[in-house]
Amino acid sequence: MTGHWNDFKNADVLLTCGSNNVENHPESARWVRAACDKGAISIVVDPRYTRSAAVADVYCPIRPGTDITFWGGLINYIIQNDKWQKEYVLTYTNASYLVHEDYSFDVETGLFSGWDESKQKYVTTSWGYQEEESVAPNTGTGGAFAYVLKPGTPEFTPPHKEVPRKDMTLTDPNCSFNILKEHYSRYDIETVTKVCGMDAETLEQVYSLYASTGAPEKVGAILYALGQTQHHYGSQNTRAMCLVQLLLGNIGVPGGSVNALRGEPNVQGATDMAMLVYDFPGYMKWPTVASHPTLRAWLEHETYADGYYTNKPKFFISALKEWYGEHATVDNDYGYDWLPKIGSTDFTTMSTFEQMDAGVIKGYFCWGMNPANSTANTKFARQALSKLEWLVAVDWVETETACFWRAPDLDPAEIQTECYYLPAALIYEKMGSISNSGRWIQWRYKALDPVDEAKPDYEICDLLWSEITRLYREEGGPCAEAILNVKWDYHRDGKIDPRAVSMALNGYKWKDGADWDSRELLSTFGDLGADGSTACALWIYSGFWANNDDRWEAASQKVGGRALEDPSGLGLYPGWAYAWPLNRRILYNRASADAEGKPWNPERNVVEWTGSEWVTNDVPDFGFKTTAADGTVTWTPPNNKAFMMLWEQNARLVSYSLKDAPLPEHYEPFESPADNALNKRQNSPMIQFADHPSVKRGDRSEYPIAVTTYSVVEMWQTGSQTRGCPALVEARPEQFIEMSVELAEEKGIQNGDTVRVWNNRGDVKLSAFVTRRIKPLMVNGELCHVVGMIHHWGWAGMYSTADTVNDLAPNVGDPNSYIPEFKAFLVNVEKA
Amino acid sequence: MSTEMAIYFDSSACTACKGCQCACKCWNSLPSPLGLNANEFTHSYQSPMDLNGNTRLIMRFEENESPKKWGVEWSFGRRSCMHCSNPGCASVCPSGALSVDEATGFVRVEEDKCIGCRYCETACPFDVPRYYGPDSKVNKCTACLDRQENGRAAQINNGTGVTQTQFNVPACVHTCPPGALDFGPRDEMIAKAYERVEFLKNREIDPSPHASVYGDKLFDGAGTHVIMVLKYPVETYGLPVDPKVSPMVDLLGWMKPLTGLAAAATVAGLGLSFLTGIGYKRDTLHYDEKKH
Repeated sequence: MTGHWNDFKNADVLLTCGSNNVENHPESARWVRAACDKGAISIVVDPRYTRSAAVADVYCPIRPGTDITFWGGLINYIIQNDKWQKEYVLTYTNASYLVHEDYSFDVETGLFSGWDESKQKYVTTSWGYQEEESVAPNTGTGGAFAYVLKPGTPEFTPPHKEVPRKDMTLTDPNCSFNILKEHYSRYDIETVTKVCGMDAETLEQVYSLYASTGAPEKVGAILYALGQTQHHYGSQNTRAMCLVQLLLGNIGVPGGSVNALRGEPNVQGATDMAMLVYDFPGYMKWPTVASHPTLRAWLEHETYADGYYTNKPKFFISALKEWYGEHATVDNDYGYDWLPKIGSTDFTTMSTFEQMDAGVIKGYFCWGMNPANSTANTKFARQALSKLEWLVAVDWVETETACFWRAPDLDPAEIQTECYYLPAALIYEKMGSISNSGRWIQWRYKALDPVDEAKPDYEICDLLWSEITRLYREEGGPCAEAILNVKWDYHRDGKIDPRAVSMALNGYKWKDGADWDSRELLSTFGDLGADGSTACALWIYSGFWANNDDRWEAASQKVGGRALEDPSGLGLYPGWAYAWPLNRRILYNRASADAEGKPWNPERNVVEWTGSEWVTNDVPDFGFKTTAADGTVTWTPPNNKAFMMLWEQNARLVSYSLKDAPLPEHYEPFESPADNALNKRQNSPMIQFADHPSVKRGDRSEYPIAVTTYSVVEMWQTGSQTRGCPALVEARPEQFIEMSVELAEEKGIQNGDTVRVWNNRGDVKLSAFVTRRIKPLMVNGELCHVVGMIHHWGWAGMYSTADTVNDLAPNVGDPNSYIPEFKAFLVNVEKA
Repeated sequence: MSTEMAIYFDSSACTACKGCQCACKCWNSLPSPLGLNANEFTHSYQSPMDLNGNTRLIMRFEENESPKKWGVEWSFGRRSCMHCSNPGCASVCPSGALSVDEATGFVRVEEDKCIGCRYCETACPFDVPRYYGPDSKVNKCTACLDRQENGRAAQINNGTGVTQTQFNVPACVHTCPPGALDFGPRDEMIAKAYERVEFLKNREIDPSPHASVYGDKLFDGAGTHVIMVLKYPVETYGLPVDPKVSPMVDLLGWMKPLTGLAAAATVAGLGLSFLTGIGYKRDTLHYDEKKH
C-alpha cells in the first residue's frame, strides 16, 4: 500500500470493500477504531454482514463480482455532484492530457478501441496520449541520462519523451477527465443498485459519506483485500479504487491511500522479491523472448523517458552484478544472456497445472504453497499432480499437496509420482526479514531451534544449490555457464547466513576480491550505477542494512530499529523498522500538499514548502532538492510532479498500463446469475483460460446460486498450520456454508444440517450455517440467492479434516495478474 | 496497599477474533479436544458453545433483528467469571479454594484446596464455575493473578495508537488486537466505561441508544471486577439484567464453619438440594441460532 497500517487512524472516512479487515487482518481493527474514536466514519461493503460490518457505522451489501459497478457509480456520483478535488486532480493527475483521437468504447460490443479479434488482445496505442512534441533524452552534464556515457555502461539508446498535449481548461472532449466522466455516466444509482443488489438509499448514503472526502481538508481510506483481486478483472477493480482516490485527492495524504491488506505475513516481501512469474526483483520486468532478447532491448524497452525510472538501468545492472559477481562485465552484457527468458509457455499458477496435465512439466518443487488444496479447481490440479514424475513439497507440516495421492478422489495405486517431503523450519526457528503491507521491513530473530530434521528454507536452498553446482562441475549439463557463473557467497563460518543476503539486497560498491566483511554498503539506491561499479539485488531495499560499522548485527541496522518516537504524531514512527523506499512511510507524499506546497490540512502535515525550503515529517517522495558536487543544496520549488514513478509524473485516470482496459468497465463473473446490464459483453474479452476443457463452465439454469469464498479469523488459508492447533480447531471446529434464512427455507435446510454443494467441477459436503447476515438480493429485477463458504479444510491433518471447497472455484483468471476467480461463481445446494 | 482492580471489556470495540479465548487457553495450559474431528459444530460462530472444564472464557455471538435497513445486529459478548465484589462462590466454598484476593478484589482459585463439592456452581449468579478431572476440581477465570503477582511485564495498547507499559495484565487483555480489553484500577475502568458509553450514545452516525455500563452497580452497588461496555441491550449478551445472589448462599455460608472439611458428605447433600432449588437455569440464556 502507499500508506501503512497506523495511518488508518488519520482518516475521516474508511471504506472497506472486498475485505473483512477486522477478521482477517485483526491488527487493522486497532487503527480503524483509533480513527473512529476521533469521529471518523467507517463503512463496510460486503456480500455478508461480517464481523467487520458489525463494528462499522454503515453496512452496504453487494453481489459478489460487481465491484467495478459500485466504484463506477461512486466515480459518477463524485463528478455529477461536483465533489472531486479540483486542484489535486488538475495538478497531479493526467486529467488535462488529451487521449488519442482513436480512443473509443462501444457499449454494443463491450470493447474498447484497439481490439484484435484474431490475437484476442488489445493494441493499446489508442489508449495513449496525443503528442505535442518529442523531446530527445538529455545526456549532457546534469541531464537525466548523463550516466549512459559513463564507461562500463552497456550501450543503449534512451527513449525520447513524447510530451502529451494538454488542455488545462478541460474543454476538449478527449481530455482524460472528460473520457472518464463520459465513461461512467452510465453508472447511475439505479443501474448500480440493479447490478449490485443493494437499495438506493443505502448506496446513496455510502456515496455521499465517502464523496465528502473530496473536500481538500478531508481524507478517506479504502481498505481492500482478495475480495477485490480474485476476479478475472481483479486488476481493473484495483484501478477503479485508484480512480476514486485520485478524484477525491486521497493518494499521498496521511489517512488516505488504496490500502491492500496483505494476509500472509510476508506476501509483501514475496512480491518485493518477485515471486511472480513476470517480475524481476524490485518491481522490474523479467526478460521475455519477445520483448527483451538482448540487454540493449531490455534497457530500451523498460527505461522511462522521464521521472525516476530514467534510472532503471542502474537498478537492473546492479542486480545482474549481484547475480553473477565478477563474471558479470560490460563485455558480456553483465551476464544478461545467462538469465532464462520467458518464452511462449505460460508458467503462472493456473497454467502450471495445464502444463503438468499436458506432460510438459514433469517435476514440481512446491515450496510453502499448497495448490492441491488452494488453487482454483483443485480437483483438476490434483489430477495434474498425479501425472508428475516427481514432486518435492517443502513445508512446515504435511500439507494436502505433500500427500496429494491420499486425496479422497485419487487412487494411490494408479499414481506413479515419486514424492519427497522436506520439513521446513517455522518462522520462529530462523532469522530473517519480514515485510508488512505498509512496506515496513522488520527483522525477526531466531527464538528456538527447528524441530528434528527441519531446516530454514535458505538452508534447503543452499544444500540444493551446492549439490546442483557440484554435479555441474563434475558432470557438466545444459546451460552450464548460466549455473556455474552465479555468485553464491552468502556464507559465514561455512554456513548460509541471511545477514549476508541482506547486505546483497541492500547493495554495496563492487570491488573484486572483497567479501562480506569488507564490502562498502550503500545507504541509498541513489548511489547505484549502471556501469558495474555497484551490486544490489533489490534496489528498493537499499538503506535497510547499510551500517558498515556493525555489519553483522541486525539491531544496529535500520531494519532492526525499535524506536517508539513519533515526532509528527501521525503514526509514522520513523525509527521503527525500515519502510522501503528510503524509509518513506507515505508514498507520493508530495500530493499531501497543494500546488504551492501547503498541506491540504495543517493537521496532516507531511511535507511543506515554506517559500524557501521544504520542511518534512516524512522522507520526501519527489525531487525536492539538488546537491551540487561541492555540497551546495538547491531547493526545488513546488511543481506538479507528485508521481515520479511514472514518466508523466502525474497519476493516470485513463491508462494504457493494463492489458484489458484503459478504464475499468463492468463485466460479469465467468459464472454469473445475471446478464451484463452495462454493456453487451458478458465477460471481459481478456479473460484467461476460459476455454480450457478442465474449467467446465456451469450455467445459471443448473446452478442458480451465486457463491463467494473467504476466510475466518480462527483459520489460515488451507488450514495446514491452524488445523494443527487444537485451540484454534476448538474455536472453529468445522467448515461451513453461510446461507440466508430464505434460501434455507426454500431448500428445506435447517441450521447445522449437512448440505451438498456442487457444480460441474466439484461436489462437497459441509455444514449449513443459516443466518440473517446474508440476504437474497434483487438483481436485474430478479431474486438472487448468495451463499458464502470458508475454505480452510482438506484431508490432511490430525485434528480436523473435511472436503476441499476450492474444488468448486473456476480456474479462469485475470490477464494482468493471472489471479483465479475465487470470489464469484455458481453452485447449487441441497440437503445432504 | 491494595487497589481494587478490574478487567474492562468494550463490546463496541470487540471484533470477536477470539484471541482472548485462545490466549486464556494457552497461558493457563488448558487442553482442547485432540481426537480427529472431535469438536462438534456449534451452528454458530461461538465455539465451544459454553464454558467447560477446560474453557474459562468464550466469545459470545448473537444475531438480532435491527430496525436498520439491512436488518441485523451482531453482538459480541464476553462470557467468563465476572469477579463479583461479594462473590457467592467464595461465600459458599467450604474448603477455601475460592477466596477474594485482598490486593485486587479478584476471586482467587486454589484448586489444590478444592474438594469438588460444586457449591460454587449453584451459588454463581452467572453460571460460571466448571469442573474437570475425576475429582471434579473447579475451573474458572483467575484474572491471571499469577501474571499479576509474578511481574509478568506487558505492554498494552488502549486503541489510540499509544503503546504504554502498564500493569502486569491478564493474558486475554494482553492479546486483544483492537484494544477492546483493558486492565487497571477499578474506578478508572468504570470512568472509562462511562465515557465510552456517552461517546457511543452520541455518535452522529449509528448511535447506540441502548449502550450501558455493566458490572459497576450490580448487587446493590457492590458490583463486579469485570466492567463491561455493552453496545446493545444487556439481554443480547446473555447477561442477567439484575442478577441476585440467593439468600441460600448466606445460609450456606453460615453453615460452613459447622460442616467444615470433615463433613463433606453433608455438604454435598445440602448442595444437591441447593442445586435443584435455586440453580441458575443455563438453558434460558443459552443461545441457539436455530431458534432465530
